[in-house]
Amino acid sequence: MAINDFCDGVRRRDFLRLGMIGGAGLTLADYLRRVEAGEVQTGKATSAIYIYLAGGPTHLDTFDLKPNAPKEYRGEFNPIATNAPGVEISEHLPKLAKCADKFAILRGVSHTLAAHDLGTKYMITGNRPLPSLDFPGVGAVVSKELSGLRDIPPFVAIPNTPQVAGFLGVEYTPFSTTSTPRPGQPFSVRGISIGRGLTIAEIEKRQNLLKGLDTTFRGFEKNSDLINGLDRFSQRAYDIISSPRSREAFDISRESPGITSLFGENTLSQSCLLATRLVEAGTRFVTLTYGGWDTHDQNFTKLKTKNLPELDDALAGLFTALDRKGLLEKTAVIVAGEFGRTPKINDRAGRDHYPRAMFTVMGGGGIKGGQVIGASDDKGTGPASGDGISPDNVIASLYHTLGIDFSKEYRTPTGRPVAIARYGNVVKELFS
Amino acid sequence: MIHRFATIGVALFLAASAVPGSAAELIRPIQERFAPEDVEEVPDFQRHVLPLMGRLGCNGRACHGSFQGRGGFRLSLFGYDFKMDHEALLKNDTKRVVRDNPDLSKILQKPTLAIPHKGGKRMDEESWQFRVLLRWIEGGAKSVDNPVAFEKLEVIPTEIQFQKPGETVQLQVIAHWADGTREDVTCITRYRTNDESIAEINETGLVTSKGMGDSHVVAFYDNGVAVTQVIMPVSDLVGAKYPNVATPTEIDRHIVTKLKKLGIVPSPVCSDAEFLRRVSLDMTGSLPTPAEVEAFLKDSSTTKREAKVDELLARPTYAAFWTSKLCDLSGASPKNLNVGMGGITNEMTRHFYEWIFKRVNSNMPYDELIAGMVLATSRKPGESYEDYIKAQTAYYRQKDPADFSDRETMPYFWTRRNLRTPDEKALGFSYTFLGVRLECAQCHKHPFDQWTQDDFKQFTAFFAPVTYGTAPDAREAVKKIRDEIGDPKKLGGQYQRILNTRVKEGKDVPWQELFINNNRRPGQGRPNQIKQAQGSRVITPKLLGGEEVVLSGTDDPRKPLMDWMRRKDNPYFAKAFINRVWAVYFGRGIINPPDDMNLANPPSNAALLDMLAEQFIDHGFDMKWLHRTIVLSDAYQRSWQTNDTNKLDERNFSHAIVRRLPAEALVDAVAQSTAGSADLDKAHGNVADRAIGATGSLAGARKGGSNYAAKVFGRSERETNCDCSASNEPNLLQSLYLQNDQETLAAIERRAGWLDERVVSAKSKRATLDSDEKAVALLTVQASALEKKIGALSDADKEKQLDKLQSQLKKTHEELATRRKRVEEAKGNVPAAFDADQVIVEAYERTLSRRPSSAETELARDYFRQAGDDAKGMRDLLWALLNTKEFITNH
Repeated sequence: MAINDFCDGVRRRDFLRLGMIGGAGLTLADYLRRVEAGEVQTGKATSAIYIYLAGGPTHLDTFDLKPNAPKEYRGEFNPIATNAPGVEISEHLPKLAKCADKFAILRGVSHTLAAHDLGTKYMITGNRPLPSLDFPGVGAVVSKELSGLRDIPPFVAIPNTPQVAGFLGVEYTPFSTTSTPRPGQPFSVRGISIGRGLTIAEIEKRQNLLKGLDTTFRGFEKNSDLINGLDRFSQRAYDIISSPRSREAFDISRESPGITSLFGENTLSQSCLLATRLVEAGTRFVTLTYGGWDTHDQNFTKLKTKNLPELDDALAGLFTALDRKGLLEKTAVIVAGEFGRTPKINDRAGRDHYPRAMFTVMGGGGIKGGQVIGASDDKGTGPASGDGISPDNVIASLYHTLGIDFSKEYRTPTGRPVAIARYGNVVKELFS
Repeated sequence: MIHRFATIGVALFLAASAVPGSAAELIRPIQERFAPEDVEEVPDFQRHVLPLMGRLGCNGRACHGSFQGRGGFRLSLFGYDFKMDHEALLKNDTKRVVRDNPDLSKILQKPTLAIPHKGGKRMDEESWQFRVLLRWIEGGAKSVDNPVAFEKLEVIPTEIQFQKPGETVQLQVIAHWADGTREDVTCITRYRTNDESIAEINETGLVTSKGMGDSHVVAFYDNGVAVTQVIMPVSDLVGAKYPNVATPTEIDRHIVTKLKKLGIVPSPVCSDAEFLRRVSLDMTGSLPTPAEVEAFLKDSSTTKREAKVDELLARPTYAAFWTSKLCDLSGASPKNLNVGMGGITNEMTRHFYEWIFKRVNSNMPYDELIAGMVLATSRKPGESYEDYIKAQTAYYRQKDPADFSDRETMPYFWTRRNLRTPDEKALGFSYTFLGVRLECAQCHKHPFDQWTQDDFKQFTAFFAPVTYGTAPDAREAVKKIRDEIGDPKKLGGQYQRILNTRVKEGKDVPWQELFINNNRRPGQGRPNQIKQAQGSRVITPKLLGGEEVVLSGTDDPRKPLMDWMRRKDNPYFAKAFINRVWAVYFGRGIINPPDDMNLANPPSNAALLDMLAEQFIDHGFDMKWLHRTIVLSDAYQRSWQTNDTNKLDERNFSHAIVRRLPAEALVDAVAQSTAGSADLDKAHGNVADRAIGATGSLAGARKGGSNYAAKVFGRSERETNCDCSASNEPNLLQSLYLQNDQETLAAIERRAGWLDERVVSAKSKRATLDSDEKAVALLTVQASALEKKIGALSDADKEKQLDKLQSQLKKTHEELATRRKRVEEAKGNVPAAFDADQVIVEAYERTLSRRPSSAETELARDYFRQAGDDAKGMRDLLWALLNTKEFITNH
């Protein structure tokens, strides 16, 4: 009663309680009604992989070709058919063309932020950046919303990520490997791999010494959230270090030849291989960052000699491996960068920043593959109709695959109620 | 005094004969006045109708206050946009208000559920609320005409002392208007409790005691916010029963006065070892060294704590730690300073830091230091653009760069990339210097404070002329240099590189500059930009909670702002700083969170904060005075161990609160605990390689330390206007880092580190000494044998052998002398044989700044014994100590 009667009943104490069902006046009863009406589906995916193409990948030379556009737009590459009827992609992605039934291509994704950091923040949070708010990355939200196993990190970045925990707080900071795995070699990961000649027996011994010495605050946990938290995280860290699960997941040399051979030898491929192993072991969210897309000059040379062949190897490997391991239905995959690139080719054979039209690839986790959703206009200068697909909707759809109600509200440390994806809606075609 | 210009339907007010009383008398609550069915009074839109709608919840953010509206009907969020709300209510064809047939008005039919309403039933038909809305419509549904200032909101009582749960007190809320009228608005005020476990308050203003402790209940009416403190003692140790607690300082007197009311008995003062560690970490972000611990524990002087505090305040680590804090607040990051000179943003960040460091180190008064940032311009008074760019390049050229910290002002606060627009400047400014969060008021009335959107716009007007770019008188010079370099458009990314190279070579580049562009001043020039959303009204700059300012007399609008901040009656400037300093020492502010000074979030001890602010200003904003005064109080020196009365207290400073070390301090503490003795001796003098030093603020790898660790432990990215960007919450990655990261493990075993020095290199030194000593013994025997042999030679043999033997003897003596000398020299330097007990004591002093207990010593000894290897034993002991909660926290 009392203040709770107000629909704006915002109280300071509530600020600490993150994660109440909320959003546009949505009560729990409303939410359950929506669930019953089939408007909210429980997600199929239990994990997600986000491949972030840093720098802003061109849409026109990858997944949204315009062979009929004037020469100064169309570029050098030709489209090729894929195993999905009517879906065409760049000739430099031949392996992906053979598994196009496993993913959907979103075209005419569109926003207005042409600076790297702003566009990036938009695409990794699903919220248009605000100077006054530090939105959490998708992975931070996922690791908060989905519970996970004790002995593996819930949110891993290979080798690192622009995603931050933002206003959710450092508890949801990504675990960054800071390096990338090499083919066939055990992968040393900071904090998890055991190095310097230590043995598990020695680790257990020193842990016992710690237990014996760490007694000053014994009994004080109940009076101090900090002491309690330190104990909890310390125990979990020990679980991760001492159990084989994480170590083995990170060790790509343990993968079967049948799976390993699906991938190329380049860094991105090997990182994708690692991502499949982590997801298999129970990590909730893996994000990979793969740069080199800021092709202001030499766009075509760079793409055909490096970026596209590597991307082709890695993504085809990823989708196929997930499928073979029976993980594709449980794992949502998204591939995106901060923006597309100018349709008109500049005089350095490059393309510049262009957020009006871009692409996103999504697959797995119940997403219907083998289709193109949305479209850009004749020259790829903007969505073919309307405002196109917003980053908000792309990310909301990703949450949807994971069964996360993105209209749920958090409270920032300053007490402001903020929905997970503030203006997001599900792109329904992904699931039809 | 808060002056607020609002418009009041004075005419209607006076015409309504049912309104009782004159201006001096208290007007009865509208609830009583509108109880009779035949009420004739016409209520006022601002005074009655909108507050009532707020009270009914209509303009809440989940209802019609939502920016999308509800059912096509949108009100201003939390009210206060009278024009918009009136228009929304009277909009044609909506039938929200039907003047010729009031009964059909939707604002009467919907909330009574006469017709369906998604927001549910909000009031009864024929209730007083219903009549207020009805009479307003019948009276013509007028908006507001003549402005009358809302003066203040008064709530009675201002303090409630409960004895047990379930007791109740009814609040009375009175609105004071500038025309002298006072009205009881209890029934149309909104209420909130700051802690429902201590007191609840219902919608009529009835306060119910729930549990022990203290908090506030808050009343909101118009833009007034008033609070009542609610206290229920946690024990029966109140009044005469309260024990005698010493209050040696004024801080203690204020704190104990409050504790007495609460029946909370503070913890005793902590031990010397605890004090030394705590104050070293809080004041200098650094651990004490083992030698310092020993000396302090042995010192029998009664004033040793005072002496230690003075010693700490004189260290560069004090200046470094607090500079680092000020950099957090003012946004000194390479990312923020990347304004088209990518190659030198790290250097600019370093300069930002060093400029502040110099002033903190010399203890420049806080207001002067801040004025150097607030009033900064790139050029000195009277300086030409040409001279400015020469001076600016001189700071960044490779050869013999000029000292940036010599600059009188420091412009980089304003040139930040995230401080471009006047709005961003207003938000950043109020956050950094005033501890006030204005973000809410950017878009709507602040839900917990007095700020309206108009207040925000008027405050923002101060910043419109603050410009970073090319000043009009510099355009020609800029063009000249550009022509020399080449067309930026054609050069693309090349242009940047050329600029960077030119700067390194000491050549001119077209530097941008921070200047005051008075064409952008409110009411002048570019009218379209200034008038903003206010229709045709020109916005007059107004100080936050203060008066409007006429700028025509000044050339820089920031001057009156700075003058206002320095005033003794300024409610924010001094307090914001004091409160933040306090929060570092106590783990929470007197106002908490420390950067959220708003009327609904009052200080837990207002008298304490007022006293400190007054004295800080009287002491000429002397920062060291403030630090010394705080840490020499008993309150700061209390033990973290609690008793039954204070174990739940976190806001009245009755015991020390255990806190995780700040990221910078923690990174440095790992490095220092494991350092070799030579580095350890220098620890307090050297800030260059420290995480609290200038290098710690930069992007990229840092010598001797880790950006990764600092990030994982929550160092501020200095990107957002929130003290919470620096976090000392624990997380999984921190535990992984301390337990198993190669960086931590390598720090323990690093070359020239303590373990290396104590075991590995000690071993080899000892081995050398050992062999030298053996050689000396052997050579001594050989020499004496030779001497004997020579003495025993027969004359005949002498001829044959004497020369040979004597030369042999000489050689032996020479070798003996060399070896002896080496032994002499080595004996002073070679560590004594490995002594586990001694290592255990030092390990404790290095990490936990105390001696081990006998039980701890026993455990560690056992471990060494079992390990059977000094190096492994020592490695694991250090590892374990670095992973104790006692190491990770300040306590």
